[in-house]
Amino acid sequence: MKSTHLIGKISVTVLGAGAAMALLLGSNDVYAKKPPSASDAEDQRNMLMAAVKKGDDLWHSGALGTNGLGCANCHPDAAATNPHTWPKYQTNLGKVGTLRDMINWCIAVPLQGKPLALDSTEMVAMEAYATYMHRGIAIAPGKDEQNGGVPVHSGPGYPTGNDGNR
Amino acid sequence: MNKFTRRDFLGLSFKAGAATMVTGMVAPSVGSLMGLGGVAEASTKKISPFTFAILTDSHLYDIANHKFDSQLAKGVADVNNMNPRPDFVLYAGDIGQSGKEAELAKGKRILDKLKVPYKVIPGEHDYYLDMGKAWRGMFGDDHWSMDHKGVHIIGMNSILVPDFWTLKGLTPEERMSYMMELECHQCGAWGVHEEQLAWLAADVKNISPDTPVIIMTHSPLWDYYPRWNFQTFDAPQIRDILRKFDKVMSIHGHVHQVVYNQIGNIVSSGLMSTSWPWPYPPVQLPYPDIKMNRVDPGDFEDGMGAHAVMLKENFDGVMQYRSFSADALPDNVKRGVKL
Repeated sequence: MKSTHLIGKISVTVLGAGAAMALLLGSNDVYAKKPPSASDAEDQRNMLMAAVKKGDDLWHSGALGTNGLGCANCHPDAAATNPHTWPKYQTNLGKVGTLRDMINWCIAVPLQGKPLALDSTEMVAMEAYATYMHRGIAIAPGKDEQNGGVPVHSGPGYPTGNDGNR
Repeated sequence: MNKFTRRDFLGLSFKAGAATMVTGMVAPSVGSLMGLGGVAEASTKKISPFTFAILTDSHLYDIANHKFDSQLAKGVADVNNMNPRPDFVLYAGDIGQSGKEAELAKGKRILDKLKVPYKVIPGEHDYYLDMGKAWRGMFGDDHWSMDHKGVHIIGMNSILVPDFWTLKGLTPEERMSYMMELECHQCGAWGVHEEQLAWLAADVKNISPDTPVIIMTHSPLWDYYPRWNFQTFDAPQIRDILRKFDKVMSIHGHVHQVVYNQIGNIVSSGLMSTSWPWPYPPVQLPYPDIKMNRVDPGDFEDGMGAHAVMLKENFDGVMQYRSFSADALPDNVKRGVKL
């Protein structure tokens, strides 16, 4: 009881600081922190794209399972993963879960493999890939959607300097 | 009643590959795209009504007791239990997953349990490990035609791509791994290429326009979603060659889903697999009511099945999608799709 109260108090304090900061912003060009330089921003973008690429590789690999199947067997271009609809109740999960929970379910059941740690770099990479392939689509938690991916016309579907298929 | 043995059946396909006639490439015309006359006005020669079955896309792995083995076996059992019994079975490609001889041999063992003869065309998964060598050794020519009860039936290899592997120095296994991806963006658009176009032109040259025609390819003969090779790049030339006919039925595998279209004198029908269903691509369907329901990934047989096509005397046809799962299809599709 006591600790709950304490946590409540701390968050009130944090909120207060946020409100004060909001007051400082507005008409003046005052930032809590400077935005990244152009080269830093590019580095950060490259790191994201490296994660997307790693996710793409895992997505198309049979190594996550034991029966030869990979995610891409049923989900080309991460189609029908619908990252914009999670979290939601999913029948096979039997609970409100996240896209990462569903990726693990697919690894465990159709692929007959070992689920990944939810915070592993592999899991984050696969989430990054699936999400990137649905960029720009409005977030709609719980939406019943069969396939809302972004149409792809050429290349892997994301920027890459790599000419190979993988 | 005709007795129809396997030997007779195979004998019908001897026209395959014999033609070396040279014809020019025919440019796609507005007529072939927009349709001249239309399917409804067809007045084909009368045929002896019959039923045939279709299976496709089993994608077998070289792994013992793999679930896809039993799923193909389930399709075979369904065909064997059809009443009336189909005259024959067509198989629209992708018996194996990675083109290994063991996968194709396993597929052949399962398909050989069919109680009626069957004819096969290759898919990309059967082909690009050894450029079709093992497949041809087991199943014969990759393009063929036959005549059955008044219908001219054509099978073609629509998964040919220009050489993308030599310059890259890819091994056969690497080439196959590229082609195995639906989204392969290094592999190029599939087609039947000039030799088969010339063969097709010669094959139908002396066949009268009122003859009912069925053509089977792995990929659709229209631009559905080129990204996933839901297309055949020289389909406009195929449609031009077949445009003289009153009515053509096109059936294709590869899409692992129910899909339908009409182009000119051609009705086109996509097939369910026995391995896994594919999602609908992010494009508008030309006939949005003719599709599968959303599938349940927890039901390994959902969105899959076998097919029966029933042909009447006037070449009216019905495609019966025989899904393994009871709720895979909306009612209008369950009742059968008019061809």
